[in-house]
Amino acid sequence: MKEIIKVTRRQFVKIAGYTVGAALYSWNFAKFTYAAVKDNIATRQESVYVQDTKMKVRKSQDSPAVKKIYKDFLHEPCGHMSHHLLHTHYVDRSARVKQLKAKGLKLKV
Amino acid sequence: MRVIENVVTLSNAPIPQDADNVYFIQVDQTKCEECGECENHCATGAIQPKDGNDGPRTVADPATCVNCGQCLVNCPYGAIYEGVSFVDEIFNALKDPDTVVVSMPAPAVRYGLGEPFGYPIGTYVGGKMFAALRKLGFDYIWDNQMTADVTIMEEGTELLHRLTGKIKKPLPQFTSCCPGWIKFMETFYPELSENVSTCKSPIGMLGPLSKTYGAEVTKARPEKIYTVSIMPCVAKKYEGLRTEMSDSGFRDIDATITTRELAYMIKKAGIDFKSLPDEEPDFDLGDSTGAATIFGNSGGVMEAALRYAYEVVSGKKLNDPDIKAVRSHKGVKAATINVPKFGDLEVCVVSGLANAIPILEEVKQGKSKYHFIEVMTCPGGCVNGGGQPLFPDVREASLLRSIIARINRRFNMRKMG
Repeated sequence: MKEIIKVTRRQFVKIAGYTVGAALYSWNFAKFTYAAVKDNIATRQESVYVQDTKMKVRKSQDSPAVKKIYKDFLHEPCGHMSHHLLHTHYVDRSARVKQLKAKGLKLKV
Repeated sequence: MRVIENVVTLSNAPIPQDADNVYFIQVDQTKCEECGECENHCATGAIQPKDGNDGPRTVADPATCVNCGQCLVNCPYGAIYEGVSFVDEIFNALKDPDTVVVSMPAPAVRYGLGEPFGYPIGTYVGGKMFAALRKLGFDYIWDNQMTADVTIMEEGTELLHRLTGKIKKPLPQFTSCCPGWIKFMETFYPELSENVSTCKSPIGMLGPLSKTYGAEVTKARPEKIYTVSIMPCVAKKYEGLRTEMSDSGFRDIDATITTRELAYMIKKAGIDFKSLPDEEPDFDLGDSTGAATIFGNSGGVMEAALRYAYEVVSGKKLNDPDIKAVRSHKGVKAATINVPKFGDLEVCVVSGLANAIPILEEVKQGKSKYHFIEVMTCPGGCVNGGGQPLFPDVREASLLRSIIARINRRFNMRKMG
């Protein structure tokens, strides 16, 4: 058999090692980065729940500042003052998108 | 134009009347590698190829975009930029001795703000955040978590009124805290607007309360108060500009910035964040509870509302405030909560706007069994909002993705001949 490239047994093992290493590394790199994005969200979430357990008061109705604002200013939940300042109405914004769709714009919804 | 925590941001503070025609999020055509990653994160399909099947992506029209910014925080190439920034305006207000500048940071901000200063991901830096705001020159350190508690009182009461028939509004009730979801509902499901709680979001409440109750407590002149909303969110910039947000008699929210922009301001002012002491906010509109801090997570508003509703309906004390059944990481999570004197309360938590569509269709057809539904546009909730510091691996992975994108691009070019 005619030899195209000369490689010793030792060199072959070396090349094979590098190839497998590179393949595993890039596979893990891709996997790791994918997993890391997911986990980062969970890490922030976990931190929130830890902080929740550290708070002196854990229910809104027991908050001293909430009790004070309802006593002095808002009077009662969903009362007159609340409706004036804290509640809102919604606007129908569908017309503009309907127009765009009629002109041929494609959307997911 | 400048780069704020790795995100290109235009220095543009629009007036409310223009908000509907401003691109809060847009793609830089010269930087787009056409990989299509942004489209995977867009619930409406607003971000799409400019011409036909391929080519650089673009936000088609401001009306189609809910401004969530998920495309921006997931773009491997930094090709997507923010179109609105109030940073300069806030620096000017802070310099003016007559203006009473008040801070209103959202719950999730304190779980992301540490990252630009070298803290590990998710580190709680609330105390240092309040100290930094004082150092920046804010006159009153008020906290959006306080009105998150108020939101629970209002929204929880509203739910009870709907359940008992005291107000004639349909069930299920949807939460109204998430501005991406609200714009989505108004644009694509306006027929469901009666189902959405009439409560403003926590920031929608803190704005007008600052200029009324806050002015009373501090004896400041309301017309001199300048309210700065600090959010993990780009869509909150649009919410702050809504023309109806003026119930205090003034603009309720004068400026809105993201967590990234706050980090930028702290750095720009030369404040050494890590060496700051832990401080507290000012009591009257700053004191808050655990129920408020969990607003930053998907399922948090639901859990906080249940902690309230359970006690009001049953008249009993809820011994363990942890309601783990509604905590959500992604997707849709349904739970049945047994409330004494009421029975089974059917609740649902939606994390990620695209996941809401089947649920909304159900409600539209009148087939929904739920009483209360929470929707958060960003997967995982506000902690993963479009205004948070970028996760380090989003851009790190760009070499690998860049190669794949180039191959795809070549392939597509060939296909199109």
